[in-house]
Amino acid sequence: MGKKDRKISAEITATGKLPKEIENGLRERGIAESDVLVSVRTDMNMSCEFTPGWMIVTKTRLITATADPLAGEVHYFKGMETRKTRASDRDREWTFAEYDISDVKKAYIERSVSGGFLIIVHKDKADPEADGAAETVAAVSNHRMGSATKIERICEKLADGKEIDEDMLKDDENEDYCPNCGTMYPDSDRKVCPKCMNKKSIFRRTIAYLKPYKWRILVMFLCYLATAALNIVWPYLNGVVLYRKVLGKDETFLSFLSIDGNRYVVILLLLVITMVMTKITMQLVGIIQGVMTAKIVPRVVKTMRNDVFGAMGKLSINFFTSKQTGSLMTRVMSDSDEVSGFFIDGLPYFLINVFSIIAMAVVMFKLSVPLAIVALMFMPITFLVSWRMLPRLWHRYGRRHRATRSLNSKIHDNLSGARVVKAFGQESSEVARFDKSNEKVRSADLAVMNYDNKFSALYSAAENLASLMVYIVGAYLILIQNRFDYAILITFAGYVGQMTGPMDFMSFFFRWFTNCMNSAQRMFEIIDAVPEIQEKEDAVSLDSIEGTIEMKDVTFGYEKNKPVLKNISMKVEGGRMLGIVGRSGAGKTTIVNLISRLYDPQEGTVTLDGVNLKDLSFKTLRGNVAMVSQETYMFMGTVAENIAYAKKDASRAEIIRAAVLASAHDFICRMPDGYDTIIGSSGRELSGGERQRISIARAILANPKILILDEATAAVDTETEQAIQQSINMLIKGRTTISIAHRLSTLRDADTLIVIDEGKIAEQGTHEELLAKKGVYYKLKELQTKALALKGIE
Amino acid sequence: MGFKNFEGADEEFDLAQMEAETEEMLRLRYLNKDNAVFARTAGGFVSLDIAEGEKGEPEHYDRVRVVRSFPFTAPTTYISIRTTEEKSKEIGIIKDITKDVSKDTRKMLEEQMSLRYFTPVITKIHDIREEYGHAYWDVETTEGPCKFVIYMNSSSVVSLSDVRLLITDLDGNRFEIPDFTQLSAGELKKLDLFL
Repeated sequence: MGKKDRKISAEITATGKLPKEIENGLRERGIAESDVLVSVRTDMNMSCEFTPGWMIVTKTRLITATADPLAGEVHYFKGMETRKTRASDRDREWTFAEYDISDVKKAYIERSVSGGFLIIVHKDKADPEADGAAETVAAVSNHRMGSATKIERICEKLADGKEIDEDMLKDDENEDYCPNCGTMYPDSDRKVCPKCMNKKSIFRRTIAYLKPYKWRILVMFLCYLATAALNIVWPYLNGVVLYRKVLGKDETFLSFLSIDGNRYVVILLLLVITMVMTKITMQLVGIIQGVMTAKIVPRVVKTMRNDVFGAMGKLSINFFTSKQTGSLMTRVMSDSDEVSGFFIDGLPYFLINVFSIIAMAVVMFKLSVPLAIVALMFMPITFLVSWRMLPRLWHRYGRRHRATRSLNSKIHDNLSGARVVKAFGQESSEVARFDKSNEKVRSADLAVMNYDNKFSALYSAAENLASLMVYIVGAYLILIQNRFDYAILITFAGYVGQMTGPMDFMSFFFRWFTNCMNSAQRMFEIIDAVPEIQEKEDAVSLDSIEGTIEMKDVTFGYEKNKPVLKNISMKVEGGRMLGIVGRSGAGKTTIVNLISRLYDPQEGTVTLDGVNLKDLSFKTLRGNVAMVSQETYMFMGTVAENIAYAKKDASRAEIIRAAVLASAHDFICRMPDGYDTIIGSSGRELSGGERQRISIARAILANPKILILDEATAAVDTETEQAIQQSINMLIKGRTTISIAHRLSTLRDADTLIVIDEGKIAEQGTHEELLAKKGVYYKLKELQTKALALKGIE
Repeated sequence: MGFKNFEGADEEFDLAQMEAETEEMLRLRYLNKDNAVFARTAGGFVSLDIAEGEKGEPEHYDRVRVVRSFPFTAPTTYISIRTTEEKSKEIGIIKDITKDVSKDTRKMLEEQMSLRYFTPVITKIHDIREEYGHAYWDVETTEGPCKFVIYMNSSSVVSLSDVRLLITDLDGNRFEIPDFTQLSAGELKKLDLFL
């Protein structure tokens, strides 16, 4: 990138990103580098063949260049595309096309199932109002949809003769790539590169969670160590000591213990006691280690979950609504289990196993080299069997798990739709549908069992083969070569038996490790995610506000490339009421979301008392805005707690006053437990109107300067609506009110009304003005009064 | 229909007209070679002329959108012909494109649909690698070799039938496997994670 103070156009060409051939092509058309406003990539030609292309906009022209497709060229999509792998622009044949922007009436994108076509509609020479001929300018897959929408918007602005702001011209191509490895971020809203979040740092960060428990973990480690040591001692006592020294009446051994000769019974007794003690110690150590695990794991899990939940709370609303993170969320909670489990159980056990295997191998080699070789020779076989087969077994388990889950969701689905099933008499077809899922579970179950049997058989065969070989070779050495005695053989058999455990563990340890790292990565992804809506460090706090809200040229879409609001400008003076009318899906709620700053607009500004919301402190904003919406959410707790949700320290008198104002007091008192009635998911069921009134009481108690009513009375019957309307009239006095409603009668008192249609303001004015205009509002009004009156509804 | 007819209109509110509009919204009109003439336009679109509309007068559409009602299960029947604005309205339905329209028209409409429903078909799976909640696909398609990434969740790979899979990448690009039982054992093993 060039220096900041350079002109935008110069900055873009300074990157030199356009290939030589295209620059030449532009020059042939009399376009200098400095004329280029924007250049973006496309990835298809007009017949939907993947091939690189460019769209270039100057002040007067739109030029497209498409490369001829090359057979066998790999097409990289998001997550795979890097600067290196991107389809090459060099040494290709380019086809240029040129369009005169002054001739463009409008531009739009015709969306296909996985991409779209940029279409421009020319001006009609004869009739400036009518659309002229249309033509397709470029095709893109969803991968390059951003390019198409950018050009669409720029063409639209240029066609309207408007200025293009710098934000729009900004060359953001490089922002979507990880600066480290150059891969495109899988999720451009969350700039985390999965490849570059390296395992080392994840490992270190997870270890940090264990730090407070280091002493306990040390104890656990010692326990593991003791278990390992005792595991090595046991076969030795059992074999060499018992058979060779005691039963073999080893004189030196006796004199070493300074016991007189021939008192073998005493020795035997001593040995038995030692062996029993060893076993007891092993058990004890096991218990201590178990207690330690039980103490540490839940705490670590708790800390991790708190961190994740805390981070989640800070995230913008977008994070919760985007689908992929939604599923991420549920996994995160179980992820913390996985992670701490691995670090507390898996990792130490792994170290111990390494230690055990090495120690046992050393002891075995000391006792007998040939036998050790035979024993260890078969270890890789058992290791290999489980290494190869366990993942497949897990895979089958996973499939069974998924089948069961789908069966369960089918049951849930069916139960919650029981009314519909019964009403349409579809019980038997539901049984058939259930049977289909059930069959899948059965076959998945069968697959698990089949493979499990196969695995167990093979595994124990390999295990038995190993000990058998040890016995055969051992017996051969004893009988034929008389190289050593029976004692060593027994000891060996013990070691072989004890070695399979660690080997088995090792075979799945690595997979466990990867799983754990994946879990940890997902967790840290959430903990590290930077909220899109952030409070500025030097955010402005206002002590008292007037409540004047203004939107200037706001363009916004929940998805970057699909604007819901287009160039919205409007203003509400403090203390006034603004009504928003429009069909469902026109963007009414979106306006409200921007005013409460659940989202930031992509273009334009939203201001409160002249201060950009982005510069305003959360405290000022959230403390002064309250919303009553169609979806009333009741938290688990008492009625009083729900009313006092935004003002925890409210007195009982205040709560009652708010309830009275919301005409909720009466029905609350009619309930047996009054204000202490438990409501929420498991508590008493409230009707729609009752919930609505409680949420109004909530808003009254919050006493906001700005009140947002989003279809607040849409879900209740006419009578209740009248009552609620009265409470609302009480509520809106002296506040800036923004009210969205279907029923226009609700908005009669509004100082200004705006009519939203397809994301744009279609009409704006007072009730009377709009009626006089005989436009959309007039039609709606007539529809609701005359038409309904004719049918005797109102 | 819509509000635009009313803008600036001076007439009084007309209940009869409103009812007519509502009726229009609820109507289903079938198009065939007798009542509709489709033609290619210079810009690469398809235009439509209906000689005798609902009210008897001719209707003309500069360009129409051709949409399948059942894109997966019945791609040649119930083709909805729509207007092209954002809130597009239906002009009419072609019940069966193989019978109700001329060969030329069929070709014309199918061209439009092939653009709209452009979906590379996966013919060979080189590799599917799972890492950190994403799966990295390296495949051969009817549109050339493709490498793309999907989220590891249930909505990324959807089975349209017992053998047919629809795969959606991070951006929402679609890929299709019409019959996964046709894949080799090795490829199936790579795919197994999603079956």
